[in-house]
Amino acid sequence: MNMQLVRFLGWRAVQVLPVLAMATLAIFGLIQLVPGDPAATIAGEYATAENIEAIRRDLGLDRPLWEQYGTWLWNALQGDLSNSLLTGLPVLDEVARRLPPTLFIAVFALLISICIGVPLGILAATRADSALDRFVTSVASLGVAVPNFWLGMIFVSIFALGFGWFPTTGARPISEDFWGAVHHAALPAATLATAGIAEIARQLRSSLIEVLQSQYVRTLRAKGLSPARILWKHGLRNAALTLLTVIGLVFNHTLGATVATEAVFAIPGAGSMIVNAAINKDFPVLQGAVFVLVLIVISMNLIIDLLYTVLDPRVKKD
Amino acid sequence: MSESNIETPRDGAALLRRRRLLQLMAAGTTMALVPGVSAMRATAQTAAPKGGVLRVSAPFNPSSLDPVTSGAGSDHMILYSLYDTLVDFEPETLQPVPGLSTEWAFETPTRLVMTLREGVKFHDGTDFDAEAVKANLDRALTDPRSTAKGDLASVESVDVVETHVVAINLNRPDSALPLILADRPGMMASPTAFAEEGRNFDRTPVGTGPFSFVSWNDGDAVEMARFDGYWDEELPHLDGIVFRVITDLNTGLRSVIAGESDFVYRLNPQQKLVADRMGDKVVVRTSPTVANYHIVFNYAKPPLNDVRVRQAINYAVDREAFNQAALLGLGTVAQTMLPPGYWAHDEAHDGFFTHDPDKARALLAEAGYADGVQLQYYSNADQSSQQRAEIIMEQLRQVGINCVLTTGSNSDMFQRFMVRGEGDAIMVNWTGRPDPVQCFLFVYGEQGANNPGKVPPPPEMAEAVAEAQAAVSQEDRKPAFSRIEQAALEHALSCEVAFVPAIEVHSPKVGGYQPSLLGKPKFNRLYLES
Repeated sequence: MNMQLVRFLGWRAVQVLPVLAMATLAIFGLIQLVPGDPAATIAGEYATAENIEAIRRDLGLDRPLWEQYGTWLWNALQGDLSNSLLTGLPVLDEVARRLPPTLFIAVFALLISICIGVPLGILAATRADSALDRFVTSVASLGVAVPNFWLGMIFVSIFALGFGWFPTTGARPISEDFWGAVHHAALPAATLATAGIAEIARQLRSSLIEVLQSQYVRTLRAKGLSPARILWKHGLRNAALTLLTVIGLVFNHTLGATVATEAVFAIPGAGSMIVNAAINKDFPVLQGAVFVLVLIVISMNLIIDLLYTVLDPRVKKD
Repeated sequence: MSESNIETPRDGAALLRRRRLLQLMAAGTTMALVPGVSAMRATAQTAAPKGGVLRVSAPFNPSSLDPVTSGAGSDHMILYSLYDTLVDFEPETLQPVPGLSTEWAFETPTRLVMTLREGVKFHDGTDFDAEAVKANLDRALTDPRSTAKGDLASVESVDVVETHVVAINLNRPDSALPLILADRPGMMASPTAFAEEGRNFDRTPVGTGPFSFVSWNDGDAVEMARFDGYWDEELPHLDGIVFRVITDLNTGLRSVIAGESDFVYRLNPQQKLVADRMGDKVVVRTSPTVANYHIVFNYAKPPLNDVRVRQAINYAVDREAFNQAALLGLGTVAQTMLPPGYWAHDEAHDGFFTHDPDKARALLAEAGYADGVQLQYYSNADQSSQQRAEIIMEQLRQVGINCVLTTGSNSDMFQRFMVRGEGDAIMVNWTGRPDPVQCFLFVYGEQGANNPGKVPPPPEMAEAVAEAQAAVSQEDRKPAFSRIEQAALEHALSCEVAFVPAIEVHSPKVGGYQPSLLGKPKFNRLYLES
């Protein structure tokens, strides 16, 4: 089993490289299609054509595209994410500074999603087709449909401006002031969590209903097992695989959704950095951020895969 | 808040009263009156409490903190606190007043001699003197990354006359230079620091301003602390300023309402409505500015090379409707680039173009476009720019001008429209300049950055511009500006639509603020009441 695990991890690590290369190449290709010129942005509002040409040469933007990308990838694989076109600062430092607040609210949001979504899903499944189930299902649909930036503003006006319980903007560094960071992240995380709660509740409900209606559960019931035992020991254990998959997806989705939420709450995170880099075609920053985010998403998927092997004996055999 | 004449006008009527006041001030103000205005400002400051850190919500991350390489008009608000300018200006009227230079005079029309303030030091301890001024201007003229070359096009060389006297030699008369030196080119940086730091000076600014640089985290905040060695012993009142970069204006406003920031600027009229509902929680200020929305034409090619089509656009645009729809009526309709009440503007030109669709159709028919004409219309891609584009396009459609819209980011649109000459018309938020002659050179001048067709201005305009550059006193320059405006209107060189109101919201604790006609707030004299 140990040998199996090592081989599994090794195979996964090999898979990471092409994914990283593909993701950053796709970003590099897409950004070439975006109109605009980073040299023009740097040169400012009243630049001359010569001025811009000089900056382009200076930044190496006059070189062939494959050469620009190749150089970047070669350096990135050696741990050098190169420098921002716009500010000249090392991308790695910028990502290291901007990512923690984003990761913090994403993880916080995931925890809220699980803590609320799972009980709601169980409640709805065990009382399938009751008024409570219909209520949970419709609230969940609403949660998926409501755009979170709008919800963010509503939350701010009620809980921050109305009751004054939470700050409306900004973030605190987690290392210096943990509870301050939690306090600041609470509203953005709650905003992000609504979609996650809805997704987890819906998927858990349908998966659990499927399990509870299966023939072996009928057999268990016939055997005289108590409904609680059926639910906790057999129902949830089988639904857990779906739950795990959904949690992985929700986390990846939440990470992407932070962009709009960060703007609403003025959080100096990776989202605003990526948007800014995209607008200004600052491709080293964009690719650097994507590079790190892809690594995070892949690691998350890996953790989920490992948890599968713990929960489901069938996965181990394969 | 005791400065009664600069108190918050909360509605349109107050705005009008204010404008009337501005007119009166401008009419009666000459250079001789300037010290009086300064004295008035000084007395308002005497009781200012000390201490506190002002938190300002800034809508943009700065492009650079070096005035010579800064490339965005939105950097000024941050640069002003770090750097003093050679010449300062009265915020309400844009009259030049002493800055780092205590007095100046044109020795000949092409030699400006400036006496410098003594006892001024840069934040790093370097003395501010004539050598420093020369080093700064030379750098602005020669640095390959300099964005100030256009502003200083008339400067030939700089002479150190005495330790505290400097002379600027010009290649042509340019009476606009003193006010140009109140802008970025006149911000004085420490020669020791920029020689040492080189390119890195973008992020390690050292000036003589009331605040010295502490830190800049991109997309997050710029922090500065009080400079104890500031030459004006009364200043600064604050212990420091933090500019929090909050790109979403609604979020910026909410941060002030919640008391997390003290000041937010450049708000849209829609946000004023929200702020107005907050009662005593915040102070809302609206003031006129020289910034305006105008439609720039590329008249190097058809159809806009025909003056009749350009006139037709000017008659087709309903400026008041635009003001109501896009600016909620808080703006002022425009005829030229100079606002009503401003010293260089001639009121006789107001009402030159009226909303007259029939006349527009007749002019188009005369130009051979009786069946309509198509325009390539460019606009920034952000939501409010597109809304403005939709209003104008619909007004033009009603007279038979059909626009095809192209959008992109600000810098992309500038490159494509102004530099490469794509498209026919673009609506730009023109931020104005301290000296009016700069406006006309930028937009109508043959080499003007905002003249996409690079078509030379009509001869009578070129003549009047030269005259406005040669004459020194405002009274002598006025007739020349009136003729420039006249030529711009007769040739319909652009379509000036509406002046943008400056809308600022701050906490009631903030005192000492004076709104600026330039629309770019300065925080140097602000204080916080505990």
